[in-house]
Amino acid sequence: MAIREVRRAGLTMPINNPRFVNNSWLRNCDHITLDFEDSVPQSQKPYARIIAREAVGLAGQGGAAINIRINQGFIEADVTAASWPGLSSLSMGHTWSADEVRLMDQYITRIERIRGLRPGSITLGAACDSPVGTVQSEEIVQASPRVKNFGGGGGYDYSMQLGVDMFVGFDQFVYPRGEGALIARAFGKSFGISVHLPDTSGSVADAERSYLQAAANRKAGGRGGGGLHPNVVEPMIRGLTPPPEEVEQARQVLAFYNEQVEAKGEAEGELDGLTVDKYEAARASELIEWAQACAEMDGKKERARREAIARQEAAHTSPGQPTTA
Amino acid sequence: MNPFVRRSHLQISVLNQEEVLSSWKHKADAIVLDITDGAGLAARQQARELVRGSIAPASKGGGEVLVRISKEALFADVKAALWPGVKGIICPSLETAADVRELDEALLEAEKEHGIPRGSTEVLVLLDSGKGIWNVREIIAASSRLSTVGLEESSLYRHMEIMPDASFDPLVYAKGRIIVEAVAAKVHPIGVAHPYGIMPGFDNPQEIHRLALRGKNMGFKGAICLHPSWVEPCNRAYAPAADQIDYFKTVRATFAEAVARGTAATPYPGTTQMIDVPVDERARIMLELWEMVQSREADKASALSKAAE
Repeated sequence: MAIREVRRAGLTMPINNPRFVNNSWLRNCDHITLDFEDSVPQSQKPYARIIAREAVGLAGQGGAAINIRINQGFIEADVTAASWPGLSSLSMGHTWSADEVRLMDQYITRIERIRGLRPGSITLGAACDSPVGTVQSEEIVQASPRVKNFGGGGGYDYSMQLGVDMFVGFDQFVYPRGEGALIARAFGKSFGISVHLPDTSGSVADAERSYLQAAANRKAGGRGGGGLHPNVVEPMIRGLTPPPEEVEQARQVLAFYNEQVEAKGEAEGELDGLTVDKYEAARASELIEWAQACAEMDGKKERARREAIARQEAAHTSPGQPTTA
Repeated sequence: MNPFVRRSHLQISVLNQEEVLSSWKHKADAIVLDITDGAGLAARQQARELVRGSIAPASKGGGEVLVRISKEALFADVKAALWPGVKGIICPSLETAADVRELDEALLEAEKEHGIPRGSTEVLVLLDSGKGIWNVREIIAASSRLSTVGLEESSLYRHMEIMPDASFDPLVYAKGRIIVEAVAAKVHPIGVAHPYGIMPGFDNPQEIHRLALRGKNMGFKGAICLHPSWVEPCNRAYAPAADQIDYFKTVRATFAEAVARGTAATPYPGTTQMIDVPVDERARIMLELWEMVQSREADKASALSKAAE
């Protein structure tokens, strides 16, 4: 199985809030979404576009991948304002049609050429966060080769569109999430898997719940997560990273399969009560690769933070007010 | 289709004239005159003959009148069912867009014959086969008359050879599919939560309300009520609760203040719950729905008081 990029924990924040953006790189996120969209009032959107280039540099100092969430109604202006060196991806909340995705692709292609960015380097995320999006999702996922992340099928927007209360203690989104996950897998995209855990509080800052959610998601095939409050970053990373004992067990399974099963021409063998066949070996292999990718990401972030702090110290500034990278 | 409130669809056999004559008293948003309930051709013919005279008594309480027909006798049933005063036709067992178009054709004929404005009769579809559920998108798109879609669970269970069991819901996918497809097309999905879709109870208002509320939180907008005891709990469940109104007003006010300060993401006072555009928009929609419900209730109350004079 191909290893996905490591985006275990991210924060979404209004790009026009300097307190959030200036400190974002210190939060140890794997990815950060700077929002042009719902968290930015209409009156602030032009300003948000003006500061985007600097914000991408600031937020990216800690090694996180930077995404900007654009507005469905301002595709050209937002893509143009957001696409600068250091940007990994653009996403559009409320992706309702394949035409919108194609339009994003066209503008990105043009901007990449104008600004000398590597062609195809900016990827796309599509969020089918409405019933209309779910109905259109098969077309949306195929609308551009840039589409890498595919999500939706729950949350505030979906609830609003369906007219349901949130946090009612049962899974209201089995169908749209199932459709989204299947379509994403069918077309080789990543999908934000979210196992239903009853939640009647609606708190966005609950660290323990975030850990349980992330751990459950990992067991269901999820590898990515995101939130709104810094409290949830560390628990999400912990929940989506294989613990050392699981990695060690996977190594034993893989070694057993290679040396005691496949090498002897057998289809399966038993290790401490566990039937080990090619599927179990593949699962162990994926887990080891994922753990390695997580460790590499952690190292990359650590190095990036050290370098940014060193730059600040050299410039005699405080860690909370970094210079632009 | 314009937004509308139709939380309770009280279904009664048109052959039971005693029930027909008292149906208006139950405060249902809609009364469904079922002409498919009797056994045999004679009963069906009798039911058809009773429809026209049942419309006025059924509508005395301000409830809209719908008539339930069957696909097997489509043209004859529609011709007998469609008279002035009938808001729509409920038809189970449709499986394709062609089925809907056939019903549309029958309605056009009957509308012309009975002096009813062309295209004004709504169609409410109850799906009861795997094929119908799979084709729900084309069924919904086949006619602008289509206002509502639901499941006829008892037939669907038979069709799919499922043994009813209160402990789990085998139709989670089917319900999710029709809800999402219907809402995407601005059509009302109707239904209740398991097990009352297949094993309905009639004597426990709290349980009826609980399962209707759960149905609402799955995305359903109303339910077919098989007994008058369902009407009040369904009317309550498929509307914003009175105690939510203050919450929605606070959401709107808090969000407006935040926007004025230059941010569109802010916590709900005293909590770590977040308010942003969709939360504010949902509050706006719920307050509008609340107004529509109040207006609907006022209309029914006025009709009821007139009928009681």
